[in-house]
Amino acid sequence: MKLFKNILESVKPHFIKGGKLEKMYPAYDAFETFLFVPDHTTHSGSHIRDAVDLKRTMAFVVIALLPCIIFGMWNIGDQYFKAISESSDFMKNFIFGFWKFLPLLIVSYAVGLSVEFAFAISRGHSVNEGYLVTGMLIPLIMPVDVPLWMLAISVVFAVVIGKEVFGGTGMNILNPALTARAFLFFAYPSYMSGDKVWVHGAGIDGYSGETILGALAANTTSWANLQWSFNDALMGFVPGSLGETSFIAILIGALILILSGVGSSRIILSTFIGGYLTALLFNLWGVNVLMSTPAHIHLLIGGFAFGAVFMTTDPVTATQTNKGKIIYGLLVGFFAIVIRVFNPAYPEGMMLAILLMNVFAPLIDHYIVGANIKKRLKRVKV
Amino acid sequence: MQELANIFIKSIFIDNMVFAYFLGMCSYLAISKTVKTSVGMGAAVIFVLGITIPFNYLLEKYILKEGALVWISNDFIDVDLSFLSFIMFIAVIASIVQLVEMVIEKFSPSLYSSLGIFLPLIAVNCAILGGSLFMQERGYTSIVEATVFGLGSGVGWFLAIVGIAAIREKIRYSNVPPALRGLGITYIITGLMGIAFMSFMGIKL
Repeated sequence: MKLFKNILESVKPHFIKGGKLEKMYPAYDAFETFLFVPDHTTHSGSHIRDAVDLKRTMAFVVIALLPCIIFGMWNIGDQYFKAISESSDFMKNFIFGFWKFLPLLIVSYAVGLSVEFAFAISRGHSVNEGYLVTGMLIPLIMPVDVPLWMLAISVVFAVVIGKEVFGGTGMNILNPALTARAFLFFAYPSYMSGDKVWVHGAGIDGYSGETILGALAANTTSWANLQWSFNDALMGFVPGSLGETSFIAILIGALILILSGVGSSRIILSTFIGGYLTALLFNLWGVNVLMSTPAHIHLLIGGFAFGAVFMTTDPVTATQTNKGKIIYGLLVGFFAIVIRVFNPAYPEGMMLAILLMNVFAPLIDHYIVGANIKKRLKRVKV
Repeated sequence: MQELANIFIKSIFIDNMVFAYFLGMCSYLAISKTVKTSVGMGAAVIFVLGITIPFNYLLEKYILKEGALVWISNDFIDVDLSFLSFIMFIAVIASIVQLVEMVIEKFSPSLYSSLGIFLPLIAVNCAILGGSLFMQERGYTSIVEATVFGLGSGVGWFLAIVGIAAIREKIRYSNVPPALRGLGITYIITGLMGIAFMSFMGIKL
């Protein structure tokens, strides 16, 4: 560390005002902030002393993602070796998955961070740490075999149109990771859905790599007759994108988020409750397979849990008020199940449900704040 | 009953006037600066759509359609006045908008002044004429269906404008690149909202 510190100290004069590379200061600042605790302090306004800053908040989300990542890498390998019916062991699965995951992660970070740096330098603001989480989430919600150039395009779209045009981290209205996925989903649907994309090597020898949701949406076999059991869905031994399969791993992540106070427990809980109640309601109706699938299974399969824990809790795009968070979560759960059940084209409703509620989150907040103001005004009169 | 519920849901979410057909964009972009005025504008559009569409439905059924004049005499069985539908629809819409304008001016002068020129311009709001033409094209079988369709389209438009108004209020404090401030960023937000509304495309009711 001392070495880095010395290097940074020695090049600093070039970057500060009046130096040769004055324009590149945001890039320098990003490295310094990332590696060390910066020494600059607030100049004006009210001061709150707290050890938590954006960097630590983001780091906690990445820590919470670790169980999903580790399990996901193992599962990618496991699914692959099952598909080609080859026996394998823990390390072999894990290493296979690792080499599938690494390129996605590198492309996501390299492309996304270069765009961020370019914007920061040209607009003269500092590089924010927001992309650390987004860049980690994007490979977790993509199919394993997504071509890297597509990933790169979607990352550029998400960072530029989804975030930077609004002024960067903290200003965007849609979750950037989901924007990237939605962009690919509508631009290259054949690479993003169907039964061949979720398991590496599923194209060969008639192996069906479809996800549970895909199988149920085909409306032929019910949940009870599927090859996967409740335990498979709970533990995550099923095909799917890297991060979403294991409910247990996601639950560990949720606990980390809630205990550290980074993720809102209100949103997470109300999303699950909203989804569960909606699914129960549809059970009563039950005209197609997805409607009659048991409500608790709906929460385990597909991206519901992953979205509920890591996507809805995005502090920027979710609602800000406490009441609003509960309404927001309930509606996300509701729409996720509604889209799943009614829309045969998109069996995975979670992504679109969250995007939809991101759009209406400011409206919910607007009315909650308005109601609070009214309530307090009444108190003043008395 | 279920049929009516389907038409209502469909016209709000699946065939949303703004995000599926991009109709009524001018007032949608111009009035959406604050939630308060956009609620007024949205309500006016719901009202106008909810009245003009059944009105035009009757016009279509008893005057304009081929053979619609049979109720006067059997001699008119071959008469087809549907070439008049544009001008008739526009006349109905314009007169009803006049009515709405007078009502709003009387009961809410502040809303009247904040809506400004765009209130009379509802008359040429493409969403309104579009609604009547969709009604004609889709051939709803009863006046109740046509009314439900009109109200549903209005509610869809209302949701769109109120949603974007809240977003625009929120991003007022954002550091948007100078070149994009104002309409530019509004177009981008509309596009992103369109992506979110894509979730309902393809639902068959």
